[in-house]
Amino acid sequence: MAFISSGYDPENPLKDRITDIGPRKGSEFYPPIIKKNKGKWLYHEILEPGIIKRVAESGDELYTIRAGGCRLMSVSLIREIISIADKYCDGYVRWTTRNNVEFMVDSKEKAMSLKEDLLSRKQPGGCYKFPIGGTGAGITNIVHTQGWIHCHTPATDASGTVKATLDVLFDDFTNMKLPAKLRISMACCLNMCGAVHCSDIAILGYHRKPPMIDHEYIDKLCEIPLAIAACPTGAIKPAKVELEDGTTVKSVAVNEERCMFCGNCYTMCPSMPLADTEGDGIVLLAGGKISNRITAPKFSKVVVAFIPNETPRWPTMTETIKKMVDTYAADARKYERFGDWAERIGWEKFFEKTGLEFTHHLIDDFRDPAYYTWRQTTQFKFT
Amino acid sequence: MDEEAAKKLIVETLEKKKGKSKFYLKDFYKMLPDEKSRTVKNLVNKMVQEGMLEYWSSGSTTLYGLKGVGKQAGAEHEE
Amino acid sequence: MEFKHKTPLLDQLETGPWPSFVTDIKQEAESRKKNEKNIEYQIPVDCCEDLLGVLELSYVHKRTHWKHGGIVGVFGYGGGVIGRYCDQPEMFPGVAHFHTLRVNQPAGHFYTTEYLEKLCDLWERRGSGLTNMHGSTGDIIFLGTTTEQLEEIFYEMTHNLDQDLGGSGSNLRTPSDCMGESMCEFACYDTQALCYDLTMEYQDELHRPAFPYKFKFKFDGCPNCCVASIARADLSFIGIWRDDIRIDQEAVKAYVGGELVPNAGAHAGRDWGKFDIQKEVIDLCPTKCMRWDGEKLEINNPECTRCMHCINVMPRALRIGNDRGVCLLAGAKAPILHGAQMSTLIVPFMKVEEPYDEIKELIEKLWDWWMEEGLNRERLGELMKRQGFQKLLEVTGLKPIPQMIQEPRSNPYIFWKEEEVPGGFKRDIKEFRKYHQR
Repeated sequence: MAFISSGYDPENPLKDRITDIGPRKGSEFYPPIIKKNKGKWLYHEILEPGIIKRVAESGDELYTIRAGGCRLMSVSLIREIISIADKYCDGYVRWTTRNNVEFMVDSKEKAMSLKEDLLSRKQPGGCYKFPIGGTGAGITNIVHTQGWIHCHTPATDASGTVKATLDVLFDDFTNMKLPAKLRISMACCLNMCGAVHCSDIAILGYHRKPPMIDHEYIDKLCEIPLAIAACPTGAIKPAKVELEDGTTVKSVAVNEERCMFCGNCYTMCPSMPLADTEGDGIVLLAGGKISNRITAPKFSKVVVAFIPNETPRWPTMTETIKKMVDTYAADARKYERFGDWAERIGWEKFFEKTGLEFTHHLIDDFRDPAYYTWRQTTQFKFT
Repeated sequence: MDEEAAKKLIVETLEKKKGKSKFYLKDFYKMLPDEKSRTVKNLVNKMVQEGMLEYWSSGSTTLYGLKGVGKQAGAEHEE
Repeated sequence: MEFKHKTPLLDQLETGPWPSFVTDIKQEAESRKKNEKNIEYQIPVDCCEDLLGVLELSYVHKRTHWKHGGIVGVFGYGGGVIGRYCDQPEMFPGVAHFHTLRVNQPAGHFYTTEYLEKLCDLWERRGSGLTNMHGSTGDIIFLGTTTEQLEEIFYEMTHNLDQDLGGSGSNLRTPSDCMGESMCEFACYDTQALCYDLTMEYQDELHRPAFPYKFKFKFDGCPNCCVASIARADLSFIGIWRDDIRIDQEAVKAYVGGELVPNAGAHAGRDWGKFDIQKEVIDLCPTKCMRWDGEKLEINNPECTRCMHCINVMPRALRIGNDRGVCLLAGAKAPILHGAQMSTLIVPFMKVEEPYDEIKELIEKLWDWWMEEGLNRERLGELMKRQGFQKLLEVTGLKPIPQMIQEPRSNPYIFWKEEEVPGGFKRDIKEFRKYHQR
């Protein structure tokens, strides 16, 4: 493969350099119907799962077809989206905030033929390329992080856990039969670059072992003061260590009781890896929301402290999630979000109804706010 | 302090540090206690532009160091 | 097609109804191998195959095989590139160096196919051909390229695509927005216009680290909060109105009578029985400010807290008010380190009008405080917690109002300042002793 220059001159990096130009302005990519009716939309209606009709004050109608998909997307697949958008949507397409592709057309007929086309496209293994749904009282695409595909501190895979979960919950993606919408999010370590902490159900990768220390190499590859400073709990201190051959080297010691398994030291210093086959796995949280609808936004709560990484399909995790969703679907009132339901029946009932095991790990013991999560009333239910 | 003197002070201070080559922005505030933090921020970013300093990013935070100094470059097989 | 590495575990993710990312990566691997368009690939042709190989190894080991790299980037920018190295470079040379670029997405994630095509061409030639559409922050993510290609990509992007990178590290992070007025009737301000304007205003902060840690703006058009600004932005912009909800009484009757589908059809998949306005709207209103007498719907608007429920249920009968603006909240963050925080209300209402000077003034006051006082890796919300709401009021000049709090303090431990107490703290002990024995 021959190197092809873009025009960039490494000897003179500032020559013709363009910086600080920002993103393309979204409005230059609006379809004409949106340019015309922006800010003047009257109402919307979900005609069927995934298909929304939007009506403007002008009388114009816009139909959006929402297709789920993987956030990890090849340019080959994007080119297929391009060809679909060229054929049906005059060359415009958008993505939603939860990684769905949204095709926009101006008539119901076009929407229906596009729907048929999208559903006919399958991958060789039989998976839909463009499943339609993700609207209303159902689940939508799971937002997630990189996982084993591209991150250095994940405690699990992101794309795989998401694929496995969405296969199990597929029916709720293509339908709208839950009491309210249910948002599932996935982050592959506690740093949560995908903020999952306010989701109806959150899948979180979690490490349970402190980092190992590669004493022989740490001082060669890392700057020890930086590894020490990286620790958010101050658990790392400098140490002199004697190697097997009798030489003494500069290294670090980890106060294992203080380690919260965040991997920040590994980010700074590759000689402190923390990934572990048995140590790593999944935490499940539930009951969070971000909308201000009826009740205030709230955080998700830990309902399962640990599930091992069962590659490639995480059956224990998906069964547990399915059990939670099914119990909620059967028991909650119309409009009740997962967390509102759990609070109404009481968390003690939540554990009874879902059959999830309550363990000491689920009682908060982390810093000040923990006290206020314990029960300070005689009002409770027997289970 | 004029800009050249401030740059010189920064380089000299960093050269004296042993065992650590990357610093937070706040560390530079301390080197120039009389300057506003915004001025210091602009100055160190300018020093990156001029090739005296370089960034090191953890992805979530950014540190600064003298260009080419430190063990990271070797660890990242980029030198 | 026969690939370099056997992937029996990943292959099990190629069935089931949901789209398979494994199949998609294989598709890209095959496309690169065949190279029907005779592309001069600038990074290893087999990078997608090696990526599948290293991922399969992670599925066997149940451990990641990636290391972080902090040095790589484009010249002069402190963000936008995340360095990645494989810890088995001999086994998977195609992904030995496999860095990510964050590309600042267009507002609302709208695209023309013409522009998308250009993005694809660039990334197919100079990168792995794998992307995230989109990353958690909203950026277009280019997943995997070599160090030598970073500047080439940046040069082509800025020169040919009129496109810049996004933020990472201690920078302003790529601001993101909901679809807002472009398609949604609930939008109380133009999220995309404000997002774009502030992104352009603060390009320096976005590309060159200025802060103790990351800083995020997110723009939600209404309190339904589709981009989750209240949970993850250091400064959350949430659209609201302050006048009356507009009511179309005929449409209300049509909902009650069953001519209109409630909830815009959102609950259509299950038989919930006939729509009951009393039970489903009036009784669920959090402030109980609504009344339905069988003929007319009344809303006691000053009591309304704009939770959106009634509007969500009857979008053709109820519409957001006309006097619209933005509610500003500050300080949200994910749990690390002391625990998660939601944003706290600091300005209940502000009009959103170009050139947005009032908003920018407030942003800069908050930044000045945080740049001066914030500890390393301390988010704005943590500084608010550490130095207190009083300090926030002081630095922003905002007036304390009860809307800012959930409830008043339950302890009386007020740290009175000397100037707040008549006569100050300096007193004359001799004078005191005239009346009080030792």
